Amino acid sequence: MHGEQPGASVVAATGVRKRFGDVQAVDGIDLAVAPGERVGIVGPNGAGKTTLLLMLLGAIDPDEGRVELMGRHLPDGRSAAMEDVGFAAGYLPLPDRLKVHEALRFFADLHDRPDPAGVVEQVIDELDIGHLRDKSCMSLSSGQATLVGIAKAVMHQPRLVVLDEPTASLDPDIALRVRDALARLNDEHRTALLLTSHDMREVEALTERVVFLRDGRVLADGVPAEVVADAGHTTLEEMFLAEAIRMRGARL
Amino acid sequence: MTAAAMETAEPRPPVRWHRISAVVRRHVLAQSRNPGHWFLLLVLPVVDALLFSSIGVAFGETDRAVEILVVGILLFHVIWQLTLAGSLGFLEEVWSRNVLNLWTTPLTESEYGLALLITGFVRALISMALVGLVAAGLYSVDPTGAGWVLAVGAATLMVFGWAVALLVVGLVLQFGETAEVFSWGTLVLLMPLSGIFYPPEALPGVLQPVAQVIPLTRIFEATRQSLVDGSIRWADLGLGAAGSLVCVALGMWFVRRQLRRFREQGWITRFS
Repeated sequence: MHGEQPGASVVAATGVRKRFGDVQAVDGIDLAVAPGERVGIVGPNGAGKTTLLLMLLGAIDPDEGRVELMGRHLPDGRSAAMEDVGFAAGYLPLPDRLKVHEALRFFADLHDRPDPAGVVEQVIDELDIGHLRDKSCMSLSSGQATLVGIAKAVMHQPRLVVLDEPTASLDPDIALRVRDALARLNDEHRTALLLTSHDMREVEALTERVVFLRDGRVLADGVPAEVVADAGHTTLEEMFLAEAIRMRGARL
Repeated sequence: MTAAAMETAEPRPPVRWHRISAVVRRHVLAQSRNPGHWFLLLVLPVVDALLFSSIGVAFGETDRAVEILVVGILLFHVIWQLTLAGSLGFLEEVWSRNVLNLWTTPLTESEYGLALLITGFVRALISMALVGLVAAGLYSVDPTGAGWVLAVGAATLMVFGWAVALLVVGLVLQFGETAEVFSWGTLVLLMPLSGIFYPPEALPGVLQPVAQVIPLTRIFEATRQSLVDGSIRWADLGLGAAGSLVCVALGMWFVRRQLRRFREQGWITRFS
């Protein structure tokens, strides 16, 4: 296990397992994320990333094992834990029929922070999305929606930001701006980052630790360069591709 | 409680008004920009009031007939608006693919439910006012003729309407947006069976026992009787209220069970 003592972790999963029918989606994973740590969960499709992430967010109950988020046991402690968690996914739009600033205000109001209106204006300013402020969420391009989704995830300065495919639909320059904002949040507020991505260069740029999944288990866990070297590859992308090809071969 | 369960027991999160008001505001904004909601809230009550009042005028032998039809449709709109606020309110999150966004905030299920209930309550008041205004303004019918029985009936029907909303939310949790049909379909089925405009004896014999066990039937019976002779049928009011409370308790149990299965079965992936 990597990081600080489990009691101090922002996320602590112990022996979590989840089966859907014949598929063992997650098969006995231990994972702890320390405050301020930047962790990437990677693996080809079907490795168990999304199921693990949803269990860490209390949206799926594990069949076995336990999950603590911000020291709160899930699922009962979800509400209290979420005060300090931000979440964004590249595939999730924001509520229809709201303008961007209204949607952000809605999510700001759901967190117990003083001056939610100020929080919204601050994040709009920081992410330079003032031109989107009065646009309807329905009219945003997928890249713009992703950017606003990230604003939603970080605006209340949570202790943990969970990102699922955060920059999948962003132009390279905007993706860079998002990565900079996340790095700044991590530096200034010691916000832990937990992300999944199919972009291995992004994972290497944003994280200091990578958890590589295979068939619902942890194949490797450590500093990206060491994980890659131990597996006999030169880059994380090469390792990812080799694993994807192996999985496809196993299925055939 | 086992030692392990005590060790992991989390205190029940407090209900926070700012989160409830945020959800209410979100739904007011979203619904005010959806022409379909305007139609259901403002147009349908007026259309129904015109329709049923005119039928009463055309075929009723006394003003009482118009009054009975107006009060019937007025009360039915209470259930209709409560059910729509709950079921369409939650479906709005499903259509927006907003369920996972909400799940990853401190908002609790109780707070969300209370917000939808408040929205439904306001919708029901607006709807009742519209039916009443059309009846009073265009047909010179006073829908408050049933006296305080009308108020008790409306309050009981709000409870029943909320029970139907909970049933639909529970089904949406499992089946997603395909369960939309239950939001209005349940009411369409209830409308003829619950004796809104006529006593259960007017139904075919085979359906009368069904009508008798629906709590709504008792409320409509008591309200009608109060309009006819000013009497108060305590037994019907009591049975209607008790039946509605049982239905809402069952609805709450059903939603809790569905939420547990939602997490166990990983149904969240259908919403994201």
